[in-house]
Amino acid sequence: MRERTLFFSAIVGIVLIGAGFAVATQANLMPPEASTRAVAVDQLFRILLGISTVIFLLVEGALVFAVIRFRRQAGDDRPGPAVHGNTSLEILWTLIPAAIVVVIGLYSFQVLAAIEVPGLGPRVIEVVGRQFSWQFRYPETDLATTELHLPVGQPVVFQISSEDVIHSFWVPAFRAKLDATPGQISELVMTPIEIGRFPIRCAELCGAGHAVMTSEVVVESPEDFAAWLAEQQAMANDPAQIFLTMGCGACHTLASAGTTATIGPPLDEMAAVAATRLPGLTAQDYVVQSILAPDDFIAPGFPPGLMPKTFSQRLTPDQIERLAAFLLDQP
Amino acid sequence: MTTASASVSWRRYFWWNTDHKVIGVQYIVTSFLFFILGGALAMLVRSELATPATDLLDGSTFNQVMTNHGTLMIFLWILPVLAGFGNYLIPLMIGARDMAFPRLNALSYWIIPPAGLLMIASFFAGGAEAGWTAYVPLSIGGPPGQTLWALSVMLLGISGIFGAINFLTTVIMMRAPGLTFWRLPLFVWGMIATSLLILTATPVLTSGLIMVALDRVVGTHFFTVTSGGDPVLWQNLFWFYSHPAVYIMILPAMGIISEIFPVFARKPIFGYRMIAMSSMAIAVLGLTVWAHHMFTSGMDPRLRVPYMVSSMVIAVPTGIKIFSWLATIWYGKLRFTTSMLFALGFISMFLIGGLTGIFLAAIPVDLHVHDTYFVVAHLHFVLFGGSVSAVYAGLYYWFPKITGRMLDEKIGRTHFALNFIGTNLAYLPMFIAGLMGMPRRVAAYDPSFTSYNQWATLGALILAFSTMPFLYNTIVSWARGPKAAANPWQAQTLEWRTSSPPPLENFSEIPIVTGGPYDYGEPSAPAAEPAAAPAAG
Repeated sequence: MRERTLFFSAIVGIVLIGAGFAVATQANLMPPEASTRAVAVDQLFRILLGISTVIFLLVEGALVFAVIRFRRQAGDDRPGPAVHGNTSLEILWTLIPAAIVVVIGLYSFQVLAAIEVPGLGPRVIEVVGRQFSWQFRYPETDLATTELHLPVGQPVVFQISSEDVIHSFWVPAFRAKLDATPGQISELVMTPIEIGRFPIRCAELCGAGHAVMTSEVVVESPEDFAAWLAEQQAMANDPAQIFLTMGCGACHTLASAGTTATIGPPLDEMAAVAATRLPGLTAQDYVVQSILAPDDFIAPGFPPGLMPKTFSQRLTPDQIERLAAFLLDQP
Repeated sequence: MTTASASVSWRRYFWWNTDHKVIGVQYIVTSFLFFILGGALAMLVRSELATPATDLLDGSTFNQVMTNHGTLMIFLWILPVLAGFGNYLIPLMIGARDMAFPRLNALSYWIIPPAGLLMIASFFAGGAEAGWTAYVPLSIGGPPGQTLWALSVMLLGISGIFGAINFLTTVIMMRAPGLTFWRLPLFVWGMIATSLLILTATPVLTSGLIMVALDRVVGTHFFTVTSGGDPVLWQNLFWFYSHPAVYIMILPAMGIISEIFPVFARKPIFGYRMIAMSSMAIAVLGLTVWAHHMFTSGMDPRLRVPYMVSSMVIAVPTGIKIFSWLATIWYGKLRFTTSMLFALGFISMFLIGGLTGIFLAAIPVDLHVHDTYFVVAHLHFVLFGGSVSAVYAGLYYWFPKITGRMLDEKIGRTHFALNFIGTNLAYLPMFIAGLMGMPRRVAAYDPSFTSYNQWATLGALILAFSTMPFLYNTIVSWARGPKAAANPWQAQTLEWRTSSPPPLENFSEIPIVTGGPYDYGEPSAPAAEPAAAPAAG
């Protein structure tokens, strides 16, 4: 009897561990591994998945077995055996999970330490969150974009901050996420290792446009990256470029820029009404005022308080005049 | 005479009454109404998410619906329904005639309807739209409904504190002769642990809510960065309550499960003291883990690891409970009543919530899955697959005691089957959506997540539908179900040693306790009542 139990337990153990190993190595539940962090995090994830699979199958298996094996036979009204506990068994199922937890904790700590070591000579990129767009600044160039570009294989440190509420900068393919908190600069290090386009998302609820606060990171060869950087600098004073860089398109529709958001008023119709909005203001002055102090006049049907009031610090007066003229000159 | 007493018994539920049994029913029924309302909001969310684009609700309305869904389900459904069980059962289980402070008890209930109405009113005053977590500064700048929301949550917290004081005093002071602490039913142990947590943690949330309200109404700057405030302070205050709140919502539920298994396995509970002490261990550890919600907040890196360790260690006492329950049904004579089915369902689904909690505690993985649908799936497996399953198990188990009528078991089994399928279908796909990159609290999502969301919406539809047979069953059975015997399940805890429903002041004579609550199969156990044939079993 004892031998049979032992044999049976061994079989169950082997099957469970085999199943855990199979799930851990075969399951494909993550986006591409596009950064150094992703590789380390996924390895930890797979180990957790394997252990969880074994425990899951063990408990659910025991549950199903008990339900089938120990169901009351019709007419049997006797109680079950009056067993109140078993000290060695209880110690065992306290110590084994405790040991597993210690191992998982130590390994997690090791992975955490490894992924947070900055690479050599990292490139600094400032990430600024605001309702409802991301801006990326490349400090050595004065350049600001809404699409993130990175050269493959070069270490990066993101300096993440917010201009309004809390956002969270998340690139699923990098397995990296950190909150953009007002009044605080948080640093996130990693090295992209795969060329391609990957989604960027906001992970912290930040208001009506939270779901559309998305962008993309383009990981490219160092040569392509250098070429892109040069081209961007050349375009920095183009008003259409300013419109996109400042993230206007996250909330406003503008046909020529290809944006379709409806959180704020559509700008294609503005030229028709701008001159008549406020007595005493020309169309150009009205648009400038709407950019600098958006709550002074709210277009009918839209809530106040949504549009950032920070453009006077982020654009030169010349850039704002040029942007206003551009918006009034739509086909 | 019967008609006269019946009409009186109906009316007392709608008025100030200090009988703990009336208050218990008031709690349970009121919170179930909010459950239905919160479920309707969940259906709006799932309908919006049936397609990737925002087509049904705009971003702002979606946030209001999602915020009120979470708040209603936590503060007006799970917390009060469990307090309702505590109210109804604790005096009966410890052989007392009522709670220690009957008027305070009635007050703690009567705070809830106005607080709930305030929450509903906030919806029409430009509803709260900062999530149930109400992170600042978003919640400071939000619409006026946010202030009413804060006020409502504050009131509900005060009601909870009153309840906890009452539960603890009652258990400490009013146990029947012979009922030592080591003879207490495990549900009572769960309520002791929960009450200690409520008393420790709730005042911190309340103080945080007062600060939010002051920032909004008076113009203080507790959380304004430019004036020296700190937005992360709110996260500390909020989670210092709101993580323990998870244990406040699961410990009584685990207590319910511990009551049900011995009865329907016809065996003593396995490892009584370990189960009781694991509740206390979870309560103590539960106070030390809150910052695991803040691993991405840019907190001091050195502080993160202790929170990771304490969060993982909670798996140990939780594991003890699950293994002890399995050992309880092992070699038993299992009776698959609806109550037992929900208790078995509890283990199978709560396990998923527990295991995925380890993933979230592991900081490197959390930095990927934090604030994604992985978290949404995890918390619903804990609170819906876990707490709500236990609430249903408890309702099917104690309905005969509360109403004096038996529920229909066939409809009950249909309810269980729909609930079990719906829960897994709704929440399992969310794990994958989160891992693949879908953030939580979004009104629109990338089309690559469409199929996961459509499965989830289908599951939610099944869940919504599953409440229909339950409502039908309770209403019809309460009115004209077969009469229940005093002890239809042949259970051994004290609430079954009085009539169903129990008379005013519970016992004609206070029982004297000579043994443990689950001495099934022991020769010394009190003889089972010469039970009328159970209508189900």
